[in-house]
Amino acid sequence: MKKTPSGFGPLTWLTTIVITTLLLVAATKALWLVVPFLLAIILYYLLYPIVLRLILGGVAREAAAALVAGGVTVLAVAIMIPLVPWLIAQSVSGEETLFRYLEGGRVLIDRTLLALESQFAFLKRLDFHAEMSRKATEFGNVFVQKQLADALNGAATWLPSLLLAPFFAFFFLRDGRQFVTLLLNEVPNAFFERTIYMVDRVNATARNYFQGLLKLTVIDSLLLAFGLWLIGIPGALLLGVIAAIFEWVPVVGMILGCVLVVLVAAADFPNDPWVVYAVVALFVAVRMLDNFLFIPLTIGRSIQMHPLPTVLMVFIGGAVAGVAGLILALPLAGVVSAVVGTAAGIVYDPRLRARNRFAKALQLRRATADLSP
Amino acid sequence: MFAFLKRQPERPRIAQIRRLTLFATLGQRELRVVDGLLHDRHYLRDEIVFDQGEEGQALYVVLSGSVLICRQGEPVAGRIAVIAAGTPFGELALLENVPRAAQARAAEDCVLAALSRADFTRLFETHGAIASKIALQLARDLGQKLVARHVAMESRPL
Repeated sequence: MKKTPSGFGPLTWLTTIVITTLLLVAATKALWLVVPFLLAIILYYLLYPIVLRLILGGVAREAAAALVAGGVTVLAVAIMIPLVPWLIAQSVSGEETLFRYLEGGRVLIDRTLLALESQFAFLKRLDFHAEMSRKATEFGNVFVQKQLADALNGAATWLPSLLLAPFFAFFFLRDGRQFVTLLLNEVPNAFFERTIYMVDRVNATARNYFQGLLKLTVIDSLLLAFGLWLIGIPGALLLGVIAAIFEWVPVVGMILGCVLVVLVAAADFPNDPWVVYAVVALFVAVRMLDNFLFIPLTIGRSIQMHPLPTVLMVFIGGAVAGVAGLILALPLAGVVSAVVGTAAGIVYDPRLRARNRFAKALQLRRATADLSP
Repeated sequence: MFAFLKRQPERPRIAQIRRLTLFATLGQRELRVVDGLLHDRHYLRDEIVFDQGEEGQALYVVLSGSVLICRQGEPVAGRIAVIAAGTPFGELALLENVPRAAQARAAEDCVLAALSRADFTRLFETHGAIASKIALQLARDLGQKLVARHVAMESRPL
């Protein structure tokens, strides 16, 4: 049996990595467009089952898409109306709170270094505590003055573009299927079945990844919130949700989330280091549960790539496109690998290409039937 | 104000799909869902739809024209059946990930509607009732084909 290609050789891996890297570099140039586009894709996969229900209920596709996308927009506005005044009130004390947490973190590092020096004499001889404290202060200043300010400015620039997300989602819901049909109409008959296989793989990769990611976020939010509540950290639910969203960034996301909660714990419980240790233990435990239980159950094998190019792609994504690259690398590589794999399957299948040539010859013969002298 | 939500008149396309045996038991709303999953393909006479041994990804229904089912590369000597308008073929690909049992090529210029296995499988998850009705019609169609083949073999001279 001529198998539809699902395996990948080194050349297809390399092509996938190169194309994904180029797309990531392009994405960094238009982050204001990529972020709402990404959110719109997530919204599409969340809302599409509702649109299907409405169509089955007798509502036209256009009306169903408008109702669902409009409903989500109204819901978002309804949530934002009470939330905005609260956020503005919070932002007044935001700077003070930020410095309190950073100071809490500095004190924690300070005490840990002092404890280490008292345990290991060679660290004292190296003046480890003073040196590390100086570096931590330098990093803190640079982080607040440069990196944090730049990140906030950047976020403020493309934040209004988030309003594009429901707009994009509406068109995906309304015309997504039509787009696939238009694409397939352009495909020669000989490659039709390979192409529907590719479309299905692209769709399945994106759907499984983003739906799985959302499920994982809910599970991690609940687990972390429950654990932090047991430890006694204030605002456990909010911190749990934020830390779980940080996990959208592969590899470093969990560490960033943990550092955030550790800073809160260190600031709120300055004289109780065991709270910090408990927080770290909680994050390690959740990470292990994720790796062995929840990730296989949610995201699973949505990205059908070998682990080696997968890990390589994450690091390349981070190197060329920063945080956005880390988040986008895996789903983008999954989609690109499906397209490249299918294209390779067609290129390497002489029978399919011969059938296409035969169909073209039939068309030509038909078109020139009455032109012979 | 809510006129856009009202029942819509049956479009010619829906009426065309309703005439196909595979979708004959579906209601109008269900037909609209199915219509969104079908892909129309145009084939010239002698053009190959699929090869024997190829991994099948879709079922086809003949909308117009006819399709010849034959052994690979033997359209005359290896002729198995001619599929007329309104009839499905390649249905095993929809039910199972099995290789095509024979070659299909256009016996005359024809238009086929293709339903992919992935869409059919997803239909079971999203619209179980529609998928069950199609599956039942598929089973009936396969049964009829089996009986016809059995009768043809029985009546063959020894």
